[in-house]
Amino acid sequence: MEFTFTAEENAFRKEVQAFLDAELPPDKAFDHEFNEAQDLWDFAFDFTRKVGEKGWIGLTWPVEYGGLGRSLTERLILAEEFAYRDAPLVNVIGYGLAAGTLLAGGTDEQKKRFLPGIARFDQFWAEGLTEPDSGSDLASLTTRAERDGSDWIVNGQKTYTTWGHHADVMYLAARTNPDAPRHAGISIFCLDLKAKGVHMTPLYNLGGGRQNHTFFDDVRVPADMMLGEEGLGWSYIMNAFYHSGGAAAHHCELQRILDELLEYCRHTTRGGVLLIKDPLVRSQLAELEYMIEGERLLAYEAVSNVTTGRPPMFGGALGVVVIKENMPVFAQIANRIVGPLAQLKTGSRWAPIDGNPEAWYRQSYANHAGGTSQVKRMVLATRGLGLPR
Amino acid sequence: MDITLDDHHQDLGRVARHLFETRSPLTTVRQLEESDRGYDPDLWHEMAGLDWLGLAVPEGQGGPGGSLLDLVALYREMGRTLVPSPHLGTAVIAADVLARSGSRHELLASIMAGTSIVTPALLEPDGAWGPDAVTLPARRTLDGFALRGTKLLVPYAHVASQFLVTARTAAPPDGVTLFVVDAADARVEKLPNIAGMPLFAVSFDVELGPESVLGAVDQGWQLLSPALDRAGVLRGAEVVGAGEKLLDLSVDYAHQRKQFGRPIGQFQAVQYLCTDIAIATHLTDLFVRQAAWRLDQGLPARREVALAKGYASRAAQVVVHRAHEVHAGVAFMLESDVQLYTRRAKHWELDLGDARYHDEVVAAGLELAG
Repeated sequence: MEFTFTAEENAFRKEVQAFLDAELPPDKAFDHEFNEAQDLWDFAFDFTRKVGEKGWIGLTWPVEYGGLGRSLTERLILAEEFAYRDAPLVNVIGYGLAAGTLLAGGTDEQKKRFLPGIARFDQFWAEGLTEPDSGSDLASLTTRAERDGSDWIVNGQKTYTTWGHHADVMYLAARTNPDAPRHAGISIFCLDLKAKGVHMTPLYNLGGGRQNHTFFDDVRVPADMMLGEEGLGWSYIMNAFYHSGGAAAHHCELQRILDELLEYCRHTTRGGVLLIKDPLVRSQLAELEYMIEGERLLAYEAVSNVTTGRPPMFGGALGVVVIKENMPVFAQIANRIVGPLAQLKTGSRWAPIDGNPEAWYRQSYANHAGGTSQVKRMVLATRGLGLPR
Repeated sequence: MDITLDDHHQDLGRVARHLFETRSPLTTVRQLEESDRGYDPDLWHEMAGLDWLGLAVPEGQGGPGGSLLDLVALYREMGRTLVPSPHLGTAVIAADVLARSGSRHELLASIMAGTSIVTPALLEPDGAWGPDAVTLPARRTLDGFALRGTKLLVPYAHVASQFLVTARTAAPPDGVTLFVVDAADARVEKLPNIAGMPLFAVSFDVELGPESVLGAVDQGWQLLSPALDRAGVLRGAEVVGAGEKLLDLSVDYAHQRKQFGRPIGQFQAVQYLCTDIAIATHLTDLFVRQAAWRLDQGLPARREVALAKGYASRAAQVVVHRAHEVHAGVAFMLESDVQLYTRRAKHWELDLGDARYHDEVVAAGLELAG
């Protein structure tokens, strides 16, 4: 057992930090998930391509598929540094879900055709899983693809399509066999969002970003754009979610918030007391530190389990539950520390920490993405603890 | 980076669980709570024979040279089985302090042999914790010190041969001195308590020679503090073991108990309670392992120890509370094993610095960071 990184890994962290120092302007807030400003998106695209040129998008993939064949621990380090700096690396659906699906179930030909492009960020992928009536119960999805010669014809609707209006292609889960058991009839496609019959309408979210409804009206998808095997889509989705969780670094996003708060508390007086000296504030800061450290250790454990070939504990759901449930609580405590002015938005000179506390709170309710904490609790209870369904 | 448990820790845990479950089942734990002695001397000597009384004493000091992580493996099982013993006070805190003091070799040897019990007497009547909370005076005399005052919540004082006592010899900072005081020089008063543990008020009014000082005068906290860090981490390990047991009990009960025509474990409200136990227990486990690993490596671990004990103090209450909710009326009856954990966990929560104390250590670290 060791709670530490090797000298080589620490050197890689330094390399990542130096890259970010060079590429990220110090006084720019990116927040690409929740910001529609075009200049930020232009920057995010350029930045992501540069990360691709370093080979870091496909850091852990085999070399023959455009990767560098590096370790999962190094991917964790990369994720930690990027998360701490809020580096605008886009295309998580591409390098996470799509690449995960291809690595798990793609043919050699598919891997060679798709992965190098994802590693370079040639195309921006949108998510096409959730439907209006299929959220937590994703396997009930009804968007269908019917075979017609060398094409599949897609009809139906997806929703909450994050980044859809910026994207080139969609990671689409569609029902290809309506007669199969519901988990067995789903296949994955790479669908061209510029194809005839695709239509999007905007949904603006509480975080300040845009999502979309996506409608498919007889959209033709060439048969060779199916990822993996027909009917195995569900297993790819589950597997890719587990693997992308293996190198998540949400704790570093929280660390960034805590560090901003600490800086604020060291220099702000309220009621004649420096906040950092206020016993209630100190207790609240400690509360945040417990959350961050718990998430950090869970992330390290997840990587350890994958690296040593151990199966994930607790149905792989415990860490996700903790992260999802921490998010709003963390933001609420952060707001309490800041006090009454935490309601002020970015743009007012009176807003503490440039209005970030207000945004942290709104955005914390994006904790449903990738599945609600309730669903993850059900998985933890039944698959993890063996409780009856 | 591999933070999973090593095989030999798992092996040690299996051995310990087997020994404790066969030699000290919960029926025995109940009997010992009612007994005058409060622990089982036969099992104590068996532990001495296994080199477990001084497990982490270095080889150069006559110990087996085990790690704190070895002790963590042992303490998880102690927490799971609630085996009552003076181990933490004498075989961890006193043994560690004696080993690092480089003196009193014969006393350390007799602790490891199970023939002496040296009990720390630290907490004072105002309940405060930490170096500045030590106020019991040790006044200088012509040829030594006069020690006068009372310590509370002293475990196993009735069977102790000596006490390890913190006393104030100069104003803070520093100014705390450690004394080894013969049990014959103290008055003990049993304290009825929720945990059913042998806890005592111990009063001193005694003149001591300079040979009673352990380590350097006024430098006692520096000598004691690393031992308290280790003990705090081990209290956390007990919470992990108890949490795992309460999870087992709760999941089993949720399978067996049927209401509204189905096992209550099918109700999501009950599933949430069980998952709360799993989360609190597992996070405590990770905090504890990290702190123990750092201490074993000789790395700074003040923050990690405080996080481990501070989190464990909270988790002790979470796991008990949720187990009560799952078992409801059954756990409120004394015949239920759940309430054995309820009562003991209260002691773990408050012992060696409560959550409030460790939160402040964490906050102080944040204030200085960056």
